[in-house]
Parts: sequence; C-alpha cells; structure tokens
Amino acid sequence: MTEVRLVDIEKRYGGFLALPKQSLTIEAGEFLVLLGPSGCGKTTTMRMIAGLEDITSGDVLIDNDRVNDKPPKDRDIAMVFQNYGLYPHMTVAQNIGYPLKLRGISKAECTARVLEIAEKVELEELLKRRPSELSGGQRQRVALARAIIRTPKIFLMDEPLSNLDAKLRVTMRAELKHLHHELGVTTIYVTHDQMEAMTLATRIAVMREGRIVQLDTPKKIYSEPVDLFVAGFIGSPSMNLIKGEVENGFFVAKGVKIPVQFSDRCDVVLGVRPEDLEIVERQRANIMAPVYALELTGDATLVTIKDGATSICVRGPADFEANIDEVCHIAPRKPEKLHLFDKSTGERLNS
Amino acid sequence: MQDRFLSYALLVPAFVIVVATTIYPLAYSFITSFREWDLTRQRTPDDFVGLQNYAHAVAETGFQNSLWVTVIFVVASVVLTLVLAMSLALLLRRRGPLHTFTRIILILPFAMSPALIGVSYRFMFNPEFGVLAVGLGSIFPGLKGTPWLADPDLAMAVLVVTDVWHWTPYMTFMCLGGLASIPRETEEAARIDGASGFRVIWEIVLPQMKGVLLVTAILKTIFALKMFDQVVTLTGGGPGTSTETLAYFVFNVGFKWYDMGYASALAWILTLIMMVISAWYVRMLLSDKNTATA
Repeated sequence: MTEVRLVDIEKRYGGFLALPKQSLTIEAGEFLVLLGPSGCGKTTTMRMIAGLEDITSGDVLIDNDRVNDKPPKDRDIAMVFQNYGLYPHMTVAQNIGYPLKLRGISKAECTARVLEIAEKVELEELLKRRPSELSGGQRQRVALARAIIRTPKIFLMDEPLSNLDAKLRVTMRAELKHLHHELGVTTIYVTHDQMEAMTLATRIAVMREGRIVQLDTPKKIYSEPVDLFVAGFIGSPSMNLIKGEVENGFFVAKGVKIPVQFSDRCDVVLGVRPEDLEIVERQRANIMAPVYALELTGDATLVTIKDGATSICVRGPADFEANIDEVCHIAPRKPEKLHLFDKSTGERLNS
Repeated sequence: MQDRFLSYALLVPAFVIVVATTIYPLAYSFITSFREWDLTRQRTPDDFVGLQNYAHAVAETGFQNSLWVTVIFVVASVVLTLVLAMSLALLLRRRGPLHTFTRIILILPFAMSPALIGVSYRFMFNPEFGVLAVGLGSIFPGLKGTPWLADPDLAMAVLVVTDVWHWTPYMTFMCLGGLASIPRETEEAARIDGASGFRVIWEIVLPQMKGVLLVTAILKTIFALKMFDQVVTLTGGGPGTSTETLAYFVFNVGFKWYDMGYASALAWILTLIMMVISAWYVRMLLSDKNTATA
C-alpha cells in the first residue's frame, strides 16, 4: 500500500497564487476526501498529484519517491474524471483494456482481464458498445473499470459522481466504498458534496481558498468543526449559527438565552445542529420564537423559527404540528453539543 | 394567400440570379458538350454529335496527360497540406502570447491572391536572381543554378509547394477548431493510463479528428482539382505540358483553340470526377460512427 506526501506544495498561475504552501500526508490505504466549495483548489491539488499540473514549488512524494518531474504515465496512478474522459472512438472493451494495451500485455490476457473487470462492475453485456451509446451511470462504471483494471498504487477521483442523478449517486457511492474496502488502494477523492465526503472518507481535508482548514475523520469534523466555515459547510440541514454574546454564563441573543460554560465575551457565534435541539414545553425553553416554516422530511419535521435576524432550524418529531407564527419553545439536548465561535476570526472558542 | 404570393415574390430575385449565373451555364455547357462547335468558324453551336467529344477526350493524349498531371498534383498537395496543417495545429493549439501571435500571422498566405502567388514564386525561383533559388543554392551548393521551372519534375514540385504554402494556414485553422472540440479529459486519461506523448496523439487525438480531417480532405481535394491560377502565372502549364492541370487544359481547349464542344465535355468530366470523389468522402463521413463524441 502506498503513502502520498505533499510537502510545502505551492501553485501559482503567473502572479496569481492559487494554492499557498501546503503539506498533507495521505496514509497508506486511506480514503482521503478533499472537500470544499468550487475554486478552493481541491482539483488543482489532485491534478498536481496526478502530474497533469506543474508544481510551482514543494514536493510530491509517492512512497517516499519524489515524483515532481515524472510524467503521469510513470506515477502508477489511475484517475476517474468528472466527465469520465472515455475514449469516444473505442468500444467499452477497448476503453477498459487500454491501460493494459499500453503496457504491452498480450491480447488474450487483456481480453480475459477486461471480462473479469466488466463482470465486477456489471458491464459484460455492453462491451461492444461505444461510450456515446451508454447512459451516464454506465459510462461512470466504464471509467471505474478502466481505473481498477491494473491495480495502481493510487486512485484519484475528481467529482466522479457529480454528473449522475441523485438516486444513482447513492448507489455508486456504496459501490465505491465497497471497492475501496475490497482493493485497499490509497484513494484521493475530490468533491464539493459534504454528504459524499462524510459517507466515503476515512479522513476529510476541508479546503477553503487554497488552504486546508481542517483535516480529520468525518466524525470529528462533524462534531468539532474548527471554525465557522467548516461548521456551516458540513451537515445538511446546516448548523444553526446564532450571533450574540456571553453574559454571566449565558449565551444571549434575540429570543435566545442558553447557559454556557464560558467567560463573558461580546461578538460570539453559537453553533448548534438542528438534531441537537429539541422542542420542549415552555418552562424548559432556552429559545423562543414564532414558527416560520415546517418541512416534513418523512422521518422528522424540520421546524424553522425566526425572530428578527435570528433564524433557527430544529429537527422535531415527524408528528409535530404547529401553526405558522405560533411561538415554539426549544432547548438544546446536551450542553456539550454547543459550539462557540469568534465572530470576527471565525475560530472555535470552546473545545 | 397574399402572404404566400409575397414569399414567392421575394424569392424571385435570388432565383433569377442563380438560374442566370449557375443553372443556365451548367445546362448550356452540358448540352454543348454533345455538340460540335468551333468558335473560329461559327457563332452558334453546330450539330449534335452524341458522345463524340467524350470519346475524343478518352483517346486524346493531351487529356490523358492533364488527367495524370492533375492526379499527381492533387495527391501531393492534399497529403502534404493535411500532414503539415495537422502538425502545425498540434504545435499551435497551446495557449500563450507567442502561439496566438503565430496563429494570427498564419492567415497571411491565405489572404494572398493565387495568381499573385504564382508570379511571386516565379520570381523567387528564378535561377539567377530569385531569392529562394539563390538561397537554396548557397545552403546546398549542389542546387546552385538549378533551373527550377524549366525541369518538368521540379516545376511540378514548385507548383505543389506554392499550393501547399497557400492552403496550409486555412487547413491549420480547421484542424485547430477540431482539436479544440476534443474533450481534454480523453488526453489526460490516456496520459495517466500510461500513454507516451506520441501514442496520445496517434491513438487518442487523431482518431477523434477523423471527421474534421475528412472534411478538410474533401475541401482540399476539390480546390486542388480546380488548380488553375498558379499554373497560368507560374509555369504556363510547362515546361511542355508537364504542369498542365485539367482546369488549365480545359481553358486552353476552350479559349485558345476555341473548341467549345470539346471543352464543355472536358469540363463535365472534371465535374463528374469531383462529384464521385465528394460522394465517396461524404459516405465515409456518414458511415463513421466514431466521429460522434461521447
């Protein structure tokens, strides 16, 4: 299994600094997800590992071997592209077998391997078709088959599921996860979908404006976001972020008064996830505001309450009923699920 | 009903112009090709002679020679232009100030009149004061004093060079357009899959360029089949008849010897050749599923 290390890598386009100095170690056999909004540099980082993009400074090490000056073909990697990157003039079988053909493997062995892999991804019926005759999900599987046919050192996946419809995306996600478990190949995966990141990753690197803001397990990133950006980016519906201040052991904002263990301070943001709040009777309430909207998701009802600028979403029971503008009473379930952030720097205050 | 009348009325001017300048001459030359008509003797066409003009063409050495000259010219100029245009396009497709500048000035040869190109090249290949002839002679002493346009094979070579020089830029633009439409991921995927630069071009880029290259080839073939201007101004069909292309031969028969019936028959033979070649290319183009991108 292969370890990938990025040491102080930097990328500039002319005068524009796309990626400031950055280091990252991807452990052997890990499924690392680079997560961030578009333009945050996650794809550039991956393309530098692949060798498709020059590195302005710093080193990329694959198994302690500096590969900066090696062309992509000598790095022993496989990549799945967002638009699949299939060869339109070749059949499915030729597409899958191309990496083997390039390595001078005999035709007979190549055919056998292609058939074996095609069965694995359920493409054996389509081997003679051309990519233009396939659906999106089928194309995706061809791209995957082409990547796994020669068991490379590293898999790189650049938003491989983003062109699929929602249902297929969930199915393919499970297939990818199973495949990683089965092959155990170090995988680097780029996405802007936090759900994909949470479900697939061993570790997630959340990126913003070229920098890795937080690198940790999905669980940790979800439960202890390092700053407001990560807190707001991870989770759906996203974390409630309430602006206010801490006064005599209480976090105070309009309609909100929650006990917190923190010294007095102005300009704080309280973060609390919708599922960490509950609807309670009036006496126990820490938050009180009129109902703004009710959304039934099937297993729960998302209740949004709004008082002035403060808008809070809470995950209530599926059978919860209330009228719009009726006052709703809310309290946090556990005090340790409350996150305090500095309003100006965005940094986490409590740990 | 009035709208319908108006729409037809609006079509009339264009229709009249096309009929007068294209359909009528075509039909007239077609009919003339079956008649005897020596313009030095009479002002109107003479009797119908059936296929005699066509039979004459097949038997005559002048026609056979010009057909052979045309074949050599077409093959040489199409192949050279396409290879050069594709290679240049591969070199020029990258972005950068130098690439953009080169792409812009590349249009200059194409902006020149073919007749002028012929005149210029005749000067440049003059063995005594032509810049190219003298230049080549000083680089390769063996070529000093070579009578470029007085030798049948060399004259043909120079004719091909002028045509390739004239058309390569335009065809390069067509290839650049084709290259731009190839998804970048296919090349990147091939590089990661382990292909060398040469194999990426040969096995991934060129197959995807098949459609564009076919269209380019059709166009270039048709233009080459009509080769006339540079023949007039560069070689005058000579030395002897060694660069007498079909178009030039037809012109001579019609407007030097005034044998209008025979000239019309020859023109129609040239037209038929073009139609057959175009039909063959188009069939190849349509039958090729690979040109559809994924």
